[in-house]
Amino acid sequence: MSELLERKVGIVSCSGEELAEGTVARLAALKVLNDLRPKDTVTICLPLFLAGGAGDRAFAKLHPTITVDGCDLRCAARATEKYSSKPAASLVVNEVVSEAHLEKPEGRRRLNVAGQEAVRLTAEKLAALVDQALGNGKSASGSSQAAEAGSEGEHREATCSCGSGVVVTTLNIAGKSVELIALPLVFRHFRQEWPAAGGASPELDEQTANNIFEAVKIYNSVPAELEAAYREAVLHEYAGFCEKEKK
Amino acid sequence: MPEYLETTADKFTFRVATDRRYTPQGIWVLEEPGTQRVRVGLADYIQQHNGDVAFANVKPVGTKLAVGEQFAEIETIKAMVELASPVSGAIVEVNPALDTTPEVINQTPFQEGWLAVVETTSWEADRSKLLDASAYFKVMQAQVQEELKNL
Amino acid sequence: MSAPNKTMVVVPCSGIGKPFGTVSREAAYELCEDLRPQDTRLVALAKLVLGDEEARDLITKHPAVTIDGCKQMCAAKMVKQSGGNVAHEIAVLDVFRRHKDLKPEGIAELNEAGQKLARVLAEEVAAKLASEEGAQHV
Repeated sequence: MSELLERKVGIVSCSGEELAEGTVARLAALKVLNDLRPKDTVTICLPLFLAGGAGDRAFAKLHPTITVDGCDLRCAARATEKYSSKPAASLVVNEVVSEAHLEKPEGRRRLNVAGQEAVRLTAEKLAALVDQALGNGKSASGSSQAAEAGSEGEHREATCSCGSGVVVTTLNIAGKSVELIALPLVFRHFRQEWPAAGGASPELDEQTANNIFEAVKIYNSVPAELEAAYREAVLHEYAGFCEKEKK
Repeated sequence: MPEYLETTADKFTFRVATDRRYTPQGIWVLEEPGTQRVRVGLADYIQQHNGDVAFANVKPVGTKLAVGEQFAEIETIKAMVELASPVSGAIVEVNPALDTTPEVINQTPFQEGWLAVVETTSWEADRSKLLDASAYFKVMQAQVQEELKNL
Repeated sequence: MSAPNKTMVVVPCSGIGKPFGTVSREAAYELCEDLRPQDTRLVALAKLVLGDEEARDLITKHPAVTIDGCKQMCAAKMVKQSGGNVAHEIAVLDVFRRHKDLKPEGIAELNEAGQKLARVLAEEVAAKLASEEGAQHV
């Protein structure tokens, strides 16, 4: 897959003022954001996220997120799942420390040597998870293609109310109205990359149909028990999209 | 309420109000119908790019301006930004909110965050040099892309 | 563990996107560890919002000081939404306006000016709390 799936990873760190491990989480996140993977990551400000920050929530819905928590309360992971979607991966500092047999970090305000070592190790693991989330080294082209689709003045269905500029399509799936994001973006990508797939006939080969649906699933949560119904609805929508494009 | 053109980069959405004109540097100019007056302010991308406004100083009422002459400066946590007048004329009103709550520039750059009202002296000539919303939108998008490349 | 009766709960935003967020965090530490450890208690905002019982209990029983790094005022907003009484709503930006020379830089590590700004903020809050205490004893 090309630019469509080249995207950035949102890093959500707990605020963790009460514990040294919370400070480790914060500093590890900043190390990855500023030093290790600056072009591939975006910071999600947890307090703003909790308070309803539209841009942060929309980004976290559209892009993979990785959370870094200080302790088992897992505030960042729980908040991300509650207000956006399940994180692609999660780290908990006290688990990282325990697995590596490091000394317990001390000093919530000024970390001791053990704390600084925990920052280094947590940041390395976080960077590796970023690489994994981006598919072994594929990194973002620099801007969301969802934005480009919206800005070209093309026909837009309702855009997400969070103000992110991402196109939202409402489909009837198993008798319910379901909002799926970024469908035109996915469809356009497949028409450009595999013109034969959306060519003269709306029938797709199995592989292409699977690829389209997998791409849609990157941007949308699909309940396992309704996967077949979602797939059918998405491919039907794709057929309609191809017909419109031909005109 | 104006309509907006929008573009999103990462988690940031940048808006351009379609009912006004712009300088390439991101000052918006809104005509006050039936008068020679225009209201001016800072476009969304510029206020986001520069960060939280700590101080905003606009030259006082009565100040005569030529196009390109500094009419205001804003100080944010990141920078001191001098703003060039998009029109020639005289300042007739300065936003009183800027003294106590300059963050209004960040919160509502196209409405309550306006900077000044100018009585223009050559509006037709000045207007023709300003970009319409669509043209400024393209300029802004290019600025956004440039910023992302420099990360 | 419950807090003494006359406790002020301190909730910084700790925003990670700007130096002001780090100032809010550092100021909370100054207040709770250095200036008024006897009657302040630091509570993490996320813990509170996500329903931690101890945090909720503290917030409902004791007044709060919120310290926000930007004008989104997330800490103030969320403490109120969680049922807390915000006795002092502090915006770092407002304190910075009174101390222009203390321009904070750095998020992971604040520069000297940022540390000083945090200290000044904490001292201002501590003075307010001391003044309220004095007024109560009159």
